Parts: sequence; C-alpha cells; structure tokens
Amino acid sequence: MISQVFILSSQGDHLIYKDFRGEAGSDVVSVFYEKVTALTGDQPPVVMSHGDLHFVHVRQGGLYWVATTTSPGSSPFTIIEFLNRFSALVKDYCGSLSEKSVQMNFALIYELLDEVVDYGYIQTTSSDVLKNFIQTEAVSSKPFSLFDLSNVGFFGAETQQSKVAPSSAASRPIQSSREQGGRSEIFLDVIERMSVVIGSKGVVLKADVEGEVRVKCFMPSCSEMRIGLNEEFSIGKSQLRGYGAAVRVDECRFHQNVHLDEFHSNRVLRLCPSQGEQTVMQYQLSDDLPSAPPFRLFPTIERDSGGRLLMYLKLRCDLPSKSAAINVCATIPVPKGSVSLSQELSSPDQSAELKLQNRAIDWKIPRFIGGTQLSALFKLEVSGLSPSSLMEVGPVVLVFELPQLTVSGLQIRFLRLSPVQPAPSQRWIRYVTHSDSYILRL
Amino acid sequence: TTDNQNHPPIFELKAELNSDKKEKKKEAVKKVIASMTVGKDVSALFPDVVNCMQTDNLELKKLVYLYLMNYAKSQPDMAIMAVNTFVKDCEDPNPLIRALAVRTMGCIRVDKITEYLCEPLRKCLKDEDPYVRKTAAVCVAKLHDINAQLVEDQGFLDTLKDLISDSNPMVVANAVAALSEIAESHPNSNLLDLNPQTINKLLTALNECTEWGQIFILDCLANYTPRDDRESQSICERVTPRLSHANSAVVLSAVKVLMKFMEMLPKDLDYYGTLLKKLAPPLVTLLSAEPELQYVALRNINLIVQRRPEILKHEMKVFFVKYNDPIYVKLEKLDIMIRLASQANIAQVLAELKEYATEVDVDFVRKAVRAIGRCAIKVEQSAERCVSTLLDLIQTKVNYVVQEAIVVIKDIFRKYPNKYESVIATLCENLDSLDEPEARAAMIWIVGEYAERIDNADELLESFLEGFHDESTQVQLQLLTAIVKLFLKKPTETQELVQQVLSLATQDSDNPDLRDRGYIYWRLLSTDPVAAKEVVLAEKPLISEETDLIEPTLLEELICHIGTLASVYHKPPSAFVEGSRGVQHKRIPGNLGSGESVESPDNGSAAGVTEAPPAVIPSQGDLLGDLLNLDLTPPTTTGPPPISSGMQMGAMDLLGGGLDSLVGLRHNTERSFRSPSPPDYSPTEVGPGGHMGAGFGAPPAVMPASFNAPVSVGLDDLFDLGGGVGMPMGAFNPPKTVWLPAMKAKGLEISGTFVRRAGVIQMEMNLTNKAMSVMTDFAIQFNRNSFGLASAGPLQILTPLSPNQSIEAALPLSTVGPVMKMEPLNNLQVAVKNNIDVFYFSCQYPISMLFVEDGKMERQVFLATWKDIPNDNESQFQIKDCHLNSDAASNKLQSSNIFTIAKRTVEGQDMLYQSMKLTNGIWVLAELRVQAGNPNYTTILKSKQRITSLIIIHTVSERPFCTNWNLICYIL
Repeated sequence: MISQVFILSSQGDHLIYKDFRGEAGSDVVSVFYEKVTALTGDQPPVVMSHGDLHFVHVRQGGLYWVATTTSPGSSPFTIIEFLNRFSALVKDYCGSLSEKSVQMNFALIYELLDEVVDYGYIQTTSSDVLKNFIQTEAVSSKPFSLFDLSNVGFFGAETQQSKVAPSSAASRPIQSSREQGGRSEIFLDVIERMSVVIGSKGVVLKADVEGEVRVKCFMPSCSEMRIGLNEEFSIGKSQLRGYGAAVRVDECRFHQNVHLDEFHSNRVLRLCPSQGEQTVMQYQLSDDLPSAPPFRLFPTIERDSGGRLLMYLKLRCDLPSKSAAINVCATIPVPKGSVSLSQELSSPDQSAELKLQNRAIDWKIPRFIGGTQLSALFKLEVSGLSPSSLMEVGPVVLVFELPQLTVSGLQIRFLRLSPVQPAPSQRWIRYVTHSDSYILRL
Repeated sequence: TTDNQNHPPIFELKAELNSDKKEKKKEAVKKVIASMTVGKDVSALFPDVVNCMQTDNLELKKLVYLYLMNYAKSQPDMAIMAVNTFVKDCEDPNPLIRALAVRTMGCIRVDKITEYLCEPLRKCLKDEDPYVRKTAAVCVAKLHDINAQLVEDQGFLDTLKDLISDSNPMVVANAVAALSEIAESHPNSNLLDLNPQTINKLLTALNECTEWGQIFILDCLANYTPRDDRESQSICERVTPRLSHANSAVVLSAVKVLMKFMEMLPKDLDYYGTLLKKLAPPLVTLLSAEPELQYVALRNINLIVQRRPEILKHEMKVFFVKYNDPIYVKLEKLDIMIRLASQANIAQVLAELKEYATEVDVDFVRKAVRAIGRCAIKVEQSAERCVSTLLDLIQTKVNYVVQEAIVVIKDIFRKYPNKYESVIATLCENLDSLDEPEARAAMIWIVGEYAERIDNADELLESFLEGFHDESTQVQLQLLTAIVKLFLKKPTETQELVQQVLSLATQDSDNPDLRDRGYIYWRLLSTDPVAAKEVVLAEKPLISEETDLIEPTLLEELICHIGTLASVYHKPPSAFVEGSRGVQHKRIPGNLGSGESVESPDNGSAAGVTEAPPAVIPSQGDLLGDLLNLDLTPPTTTGPPPISSGMQMGAMDLLGGGLDSLVGLRHNTERSFRSPSPPDYSPTEVGPGGHMGAGFGAPPAVMPASFNAPVSVGLDDLFDLGGGVGMPMGAFNPPKTVWLPAMKAKGLEISGTFVRRAGVIQMEMNLTNKAMSVMTDFAIQFNRNSFGLASAGPLQILTPLSPNQSIEAALPLSTVGPVMKMEPLNNLQVAVKNNIDVFYFSCQYPISMLFVEDGKMERQVFLATWKDIPNDNESQFQIKDCHLNSDAASNKLQSSNIFTIAKRTVEGQDMLYQSMKLTNGIWVLAELRVQAGNPNYTTILKSKQRITSLIIIHTVSERPFCTNWNLICYIL
C-alpha cells in the first residue's frame, strides 16, 4: 500500500505532495531529499528506509517521483512500475515532463492522483479509463505549433537522433487533440537495444536483443488499429525453421489491450489504441541473431622501443552496404599512468581524445557505412609501462545507433486504422537499433 | 514577486474565494492548494473554501475536496460543516459525484464524521454503478482504520465479502485488497475465507482485471494453502499465463504464487518440470528493465536461485554484467553467477570473472577476485584453472587485486591441502606490497602452514615481527600462530624467534586475546611439546563449498515474501517493522502439513533479528579448531563457536597434562628460554636446566587464579569496589584509549571512548596535533556497522588545531545508520578527514552503550518470555571475584541500563532476574545468582531470538578471557 506520493524538483522543491493514509507527515519529504542526495554511486537507490517508512523512487524528466509505504508487504516492484506509469501519464496529459509543466498543472496532477490511487491501492493507470473522470485542462508550458520541428526523438529510445519526423507530437498534451481538431497523427516506433560481448579471439560470447514496439497516438476517432508484422515471425526457441530468413524472438509480451486472435494465423496485432503513448509489444532474443553482430575489432597492441604503447585498431562494420551506423563511439580503457596520446586516423571526420579522468580513449566516428573498415593508430605515452600494463587495456565499449534497422529483422508490414481516417492523417513508422552494452574484449 | 504571484497572501485569497464569479473562485482554490503543496499554512481559509463546496462544477468540487482532505483533521469541528454536502452528494444522479463524495468522506480522518458516513456508505456499496461500488469497497478499509468496531457493528465486512462475487472485476480487486488489509489486523479471524469456491472466483476475476487488480488478487492467492497437489496444480495452471504480462509487478506476483505452490507438487510430476521451464523466461525478461527494477529483480532472483537453482541453471549468460550497469547491479549479478556456477558452465564463468578483475571499479574488482576463489572451492574441477587465473592477476601487481587474490588462495589451500603449494614462491614475492590486514594475515598463515617448504620462512616471519605492535589484532594473532608452527617444524633455527613473539604477545601487548593465546602456546610448549605439535599442527577441518547462503528457514520465509520489501532487504518483515502492526511469519505450505499457513503474529516488541546465523561452515566445536582457525574462516561465515566455559575447560586439560613427556625436541635444544614475568602473573621463573621443556617452566600452580585475574579487573570497573554501596553511580564509562596513533595519521593522534549520557550515545575524543602544521576542516564518518551507529551531527571542531594542541570533541551518535555485521560485533570503522588527508581506524565500543533506557520489561511479559525461550537459546557464565552483595550489584547494573525485574532468594542464594534491550530492539534476559560469601556469581543469559544468544556466545568465546567490558556486560 502506498502511503504518500510526492514529486520533487532536482533541487528538492516540493511540487506535488499527496498523503493517502495519514501514516506519516509531510516532513518526510525533506528526509527523503537528504537521503537521496547523500547516496553514493554504489548504494542501490531503490529502497531507502526511515524508521518504519520506506521510500521508493524513480527519476523521470529530471524530477524525483517518490512513493512511501509503511507496509512490509508492499512490493517495491509494483511501486516502481506504478511511478513509471504515473510519470508517463503526467507526461501524456501535460505534454512534457519538467519542473515547469508539473508546477503549471498541479491541479490536474492532483486530480489524476486521486483517480489513480485510492487509500494507497492503485486503481488504474490507463488513459482510456481516466479520460472519463478528468476535468482539469492541461496548461501547456509552451504554445506548440504544427510546424515546430524540435523535440521529436524516438519515444523511449535514448538516442541522439532528433529530427526524424516533422511533428510536434512528442510535446503535445493528449487532451488537446480532441478540442483543437489538430492533425491526426500516429507514430509507430520499433526500437531495439543490443547487448553483445565479443571475446578476444573474435568469438561472440553473448548477443542479446531487447526490442519494443511503441505507439503514440493522437487520433481520437481511431477505434481500432491493426499492425502487421513479418509473416514469418515466430516466438520460442524450439520452433524449427526452414531455410527462409525467418524472424524469430525467444520471448514476447503484449500490452493488455492487444488482441491476439489474428496473431497466430496472420501475425497481426489488433488493438484499440489509447490516446498517448504505450508499449504494444516487448520481445527479446538471445544468442541466436539472424546476422553477425554489426562490429568487429582487430587489435594489435604492443610496446615500442621508446617505451610507448602502440595500439593499432581496425574496426569493421558488417552491416549491409546500404545501411550505416551513426554516432559511433569506441571507448578504449588505457593503463594508469597514461600521459598523452598521438593518433593517426583513417579518415578526417573521425576524432579521438584521451580522457585522463576516465583513463580511456574516446574514438568517435560520426558515420560508419556498412561493409567498410576504419582504422586508428594510437601511440600512448605511459609512465611506468610494464608488461602487466597491457592487461589494463580494454575491453573496448562501443556506443552507436543504427537508424532504419532492426537487428532481429522485425518489420511492420502494414498499419491500418479503422474506421478509415478522414484525411489528413499522418502515420510514421520508424526503426532504430542502438547499443545497450556492446563490448569487444582484447 | 514570483512567489507572491503563485502564493498570494491569505487576505487576498479570502477575498477571491468569496467572489461571485465561478472562474475566479476556482482560480482562488487552485492558489490555495498551490500554497498548501509548498507547505504554507492556509488552514485559516477553511470556512471560505468549504463555502465553495456546493457547486455543480465538478472541477471546483474536486479542488475543494482536495483541500478538505488535507485540513479536516486539524479542524474537526469545521469539517462537520461539510458533512451535509457529502451526504447530499452521495445521492447525486451523477455516479462520478457519488463516488467522489464517498471517497473523500473516507479520507477525512475525523472520528465524528464516521457516524454520518455509515448510511451513505451502505448505499454506495450496493450502488448500481461499479465505479461507485469499487470506491465504496476501499472506503470500508478507510473507515475500519478510523473505527474498526463501527465497521463490524454495521456489518460492512459481510457486504465487503459479498463484493468478492461482484460482476465487475475492479470491484472484486478492491474488495480483495480491502479485506486483505483488514484481515492483517485480525490475524485469527476468518475474514478472507479462502476456500476452493472463492479461489475459483478470484481466478476468474484475475483474467478480466486491470493489471493492478491482478496484483491484489495474486498476492491474496499467495496466502492460500491448497488442500492437495491437484488443487495446487490447477491453480498454478491458471496463474501461469500471468507470467507473460507486460507489467513486471504482475509477473513477480505470479512468480511468488508459483514458487510457493510448487512446494506442494511432487517432483516426479511431469507438470513440475514444465512449470520449472516456464519460470525461467519471465525472470530473464525482468532483467531488461531499468536498473532500479533490475536490482529488485536480482535480489529476488538471488532468493529463487538459492531455493531452486534448477530454474535458471541454463541462463548463466543473462547475469553477465554490462559495462554500463550501475555498480549495485553488477555486484548482485556477480553473486548470482557464483550461485549458478557448476561444472557445466565453469569455463564460461571463469572467463568472465577474469575480465571483470581488470575493470576499474575497485569494489567490483575485489568481489570478482573473491568470486574466482569461490569458484575454485565450489567446483573442484576448476580449481587448477582458478589458481592459474589468480596467479595471472597477481602478476598485474595491482595492489588490491594482489591482496584479494592472496586472501582467496589461502582458502583454496584450506580446501585442497597439499595441491597448489608450488605457487607459494610467487606469493612470497608480493609480501612487501600487502598493506591490508586480511591479506597480511592470509599470507602469514600460508607461510606458517607451509613453513617446511619455504626456505626462508623464518626470515619472512621475522620481517613482520619488527612492526608487531603496529599490526592489527588479526595479523598479530596470525603471526603468533605461524611462528609457533614454524618452531614446531624447524625447532633448531627458530628458538629465538618464538621466544621473541611469545614475549611480544604476553608481555608487551595489552590485547587480552593475544596475551591469552600467547600464554596457551607458551604453556603447551613448556609442558608437552609433543602434545603441542599434535595440537598446533593438527589437521584442520575442510572449509565448506557454499558460503553466503541464507539460512534455510529464513530463506523459506523470504520466498513467501517474494516481491515485497523483505525480498529486497533479505530480511524478514519482523526485522524492519516495529510497533503494533501484526507481522505474520509466512511459511511455505508444504512444510506445514496442517494446512495452516499463517502463524499467530509475533509480538512487535520482540522483533528485530537482523542477521541469520549462516549454518554453513561446520562448527568448530573444539579448542584446536578454534585456536587455529578462528581468524581464518572466510569473513562472511561464522559457525557457532564453543562457549566460554568449554574453552576454559579445554585449556585447563591441556595445561594440566603430562608434565614430564618431554620427548624429541628436548634433546635438540641447547639453550634455555626465559619465561616472562608479567606483573599480573605468578612468577614462573626458569630453572637452571638447559632443556627446552624445563626452560619453559612448569605450569604454575596458581593457574586458575591467574586466568581469573583479567576478569576481576573488569569487575573492578563494573562494581567499583571502592564505592560498593547501593548508590547509583552512573553508567560504566571506559577510559579513553588511543585509537589512531600520530605516526599513522601524519601527526594527528586520536584517543577516545564511548559514553551513554541521558539516552544519547556519545563518542568522546581527544584530538592532538603532533605535527608541525595547523590542522583544520575536520570531518568524520563511520563505515556500516552491526548496530547502525552513525554520527548524528557533524564533528564540532570549529577552531584550527595548532601544533601540540589538544582538543576535546564529543560526537552524538544515532543508531539509524546502515547495518552490516562486523567482526567482532562491536567493531566500528571510522574515517577522519582533515586538511591533510583522510585517516582510517577502527575501535570497539562497549555493548553496554547500546542498552536503552526503556529496557525494563514488564514483570508478566518477562515471566512469559522467560518460559517461552527454549533452552537452546540459553548460555551460562561465571563471574569470578566479585565482592558486592546482590543489591549493590543490581544498582550498579541499573546505571548501565541492565534492569532488575525481580529478585528471589532460595537457600541463601539471591537470584536477580534482569532485562536489557539493545538499540535494535533485541531483548536479552538474564538471571544472576549471587551466593552470600561466594565471590563467584553465576549468570544465565537468554534471548527470544536464538541469534542473540549466538551473538553473545560468539562474542564471549571469541575473547575468552578478556578484560573487556563487553564480556562483563554480556555475562551480566
């Protein structure tokens, strides 16, 4: 049972405070802020206790979303999920998450909270249900215009890619679509995150993909949506495959609103989309990727006669030649005592820098076309270089984005809306894969 | 001015609230609520706000209600003003308004309102609209919290039970949640009458409910005990689909139900295997969430893996760490990797661990190195590879890696004796770089244990001896033992060395453990070198394979709490819940048989077990094991050591043994040893004989007395023989001792002590600047410790400390800091910072400091508790040479918060019944027997938690003859 919910700014200002059960006073808000700011990096921030009271919090939009509970049977899992949903709701309703938008919409947020939690029991977090109860209008923190091209990143993906689709959807409050008769728009994003470990001999030790299909819908008149996936899409490890390029995942989870009656025969997801943002499907795939991991590294590391450390790195991108990776950054840990770096890079758009604070070289490649190979020669001045210093080099961590690409091979065949939407309506289908943890051992 | 715009003054708001314009009113109420949120007191506006309540504008009404819920409690009379509107609203044709009214009324926690609430609530519980019914169901729980009797009298509980069969799943879910909560405060009522019929209803509602409702229902199901394995299986089958829910909280609640009900299924059942297979994917999926959720998931998986390792045995890879995992996630993953390590996957695991050991984060690297050692011990086939991996790591010369590696290699030697000694040479090369006590002690142990194979063992050990007094106790004890071993193996060359260490240990040390161990060795060697050889070089018990396991009964309880706070803390709810809230110990059904899954609630006051005894390492129940291995077991594992009296007996036997069996060694020895004559010790002057045995001197006749001597010193402190009348003399405060010598802290010397004054624990320190420059900017911090001691304020040293100046500082301490079990229990690691550097030291606080003022137990409670405690939790001790009568002793003890509850006199023997309570809520009961004219007291200690006794026994036996105040406290 949730005892209190409050929202704090990153400076600790009280933005929202709601007590559901009268078990503790509002003074605990400051206690929480003291505790959370005193945490060191290695202490798990998940649950903190203060006497009988336990704090659970998440950070979203630079704000602290906190719930307290006194009941030992409470599930931190439930509370964290709830706080994430609640912040997503606030974002849907207010258009964006910031100190300002929360401050301006406090009455709306209190109203939401009253419907979402009663006496500490979570009631609902579905925007479809809530729209029947909520009276307060959102106040948008900035007037939006359909021609505003900023802030349209992928939903849920932490990518640097920004201008993908010309729309202001990301910062639009969901309610506005019903009054303002704004353009009907729907976004369907397929986002995949890769975790790969490649051993020193080039063997793939681990390759996992976590993916999700997200919808953000601003179509008040849309009652049903049908999403067609690849026809050869299959779930589970045991299923035999032919020679075809089947798309397979190990495990798949669907949103509660998704009807699967057409899924088994035609790989079609049918759902009644809620206004706002929702994750329609989540899936994962381990070890058995349909194609080779996108990057391989061929390193040569040695000490030269002048006592310097020489690193010759060849990085190969195994994507199809019509695809490219962007914003690639390789981080190469270097031995302690590293002083300075000289470098030779294979093309002028690349850059490399020795970050003494992190004891690593950051090698940046803005665009890396499939089927090509880049190389770098790093000469590192290391004081007190010893044979064991070589052990301190590596592993190399790669960060990158693969636009317009899913490594699982998942594709959206079609996106149909019914009733047929009166023009103008916009449908955006976007794909991106990005690195979660891509490790190349040396 | 911005502030004034957002939060205008009261009078302005008042005017706006009374405006005729609806919009203006609404804006005004909004401003009032904005002020309320930032903590301004706007209660003065109560009547004005309530006046706005009667409106048909739902938005305005909601705002007014929001205000009411916040301030009604402080203005109960005013709140009554609102009642009429509520009652009227409950009749409104609009279901939203009806629900809003009943929801808000329940939140106004004013007793007077409740009587007006009953009728509207009764109607709303039967409302035609499910939204109103689900709100009313929650309202019953609210009302129950304010006035439980009223709810029962009005029959609301029965109505609530009926709602379990409601057609709307949301109503069912709320009814279940409300009933579950109410049932918690009536543990024996049959409120949530779970029978196959209701279970069936719940399972049906489960499919239709919102995700949050599913959680309520699953948590409720988890409390049910199926009648047989068939029912168990059918419930499992209907719960399994929840495992693929998108909400991971639903998944975890389903896992809890399945883990619990699985216990009832026969393992040879096909379905059992199917279920095992189905549990793995959802658990793996939990790890793709945000780090916070991952951490919670990992803590739960850690429990699941200990209970049923087979579920995840093929999923090792998902626990491999990602470079960008936060450190707390990495450490959890590492722990699970070790638990899953087996012969099948060990190569993979080792390759990973080796990579981790070269990362940058020190804590993580250390744990990874330790993990390699654990692999070696767990999977015999991998031991060789582990050792060679560790040797590679030692080659890196990274200081902390080398030290960790040596500590684990010592454990590997213990597990596989005489197998990997070839690596000793490599280890010896790194001797100089070891600066951590644990690593030094491990290295010394290795040198002593394999002295016969290390040519220069004597030189190596001698090199440690030079700075003997600067070493930590752990190292000193180890060095003493190692040199004795060396001497027994190579007697001819090492006589001087052993003489030196014995004299350092017995004469120059004020550490009682060290002195006592020194004396024991001395007497052993002097009495019977053959026996000494048998004792000191005896075969040691092997160390066990698994460490860090959670004790099985605790694990069982935690499995029943999967997903809850208990599963994150890895502590039972009773350990972190105080007060009257009923805490139920949950048990897995299969182990009960009786079909009852809930025990009667624990008495809140007796709660507070924080650490379970890990009963994993075989207990070292004999003196030999103890002497040789006490400091050598891995730090996380402590078997119950023998009690003190057994220890004394053992020592006596050994020392009283064959005086004249001086064989072998005697003939090899040319020179005589001079025995020391410590001041508190009877002289054992050496005879003229040139033989070693004689040289050690005969066992002194006054032996027992001399063993008592230290104890009586302690009693002097306690009983203050000078003023031994029945006057309260204030709590025992040990004198200040030097904690941080100046030479270790660049000229800063800190001596100090702990006192308890008026219920506040204080650390009193003397800081002396022995350096040449001024010291400023002092700060202090504690490491986590057994009783959560933490500084309650900053270290108040406001003026700079000039050279040769001393300053006194008192630091108040709280006991709400983070808890971690320390060895010894009362050890406190402290970091002090000044403008020069940061310094670390550790000190030990008297346990008596932790005895709280309200440690006097009710007589009746005492009696009942005393009877309740099984004999297993009891330990008996002797206090010798105490010349106080029982009343004086009682007074004296009371000043240290050891309270006498009752006194009984039987045949001239006074029996004092006493209680004390530790800051963490653990009660300890004692019986003190005082026989007139007999200076020796007997005391019996008991505690409800077996763990407490264990802690006590532990502390006592670890320092068997110590003068330490702790012992005295414990003995009393």
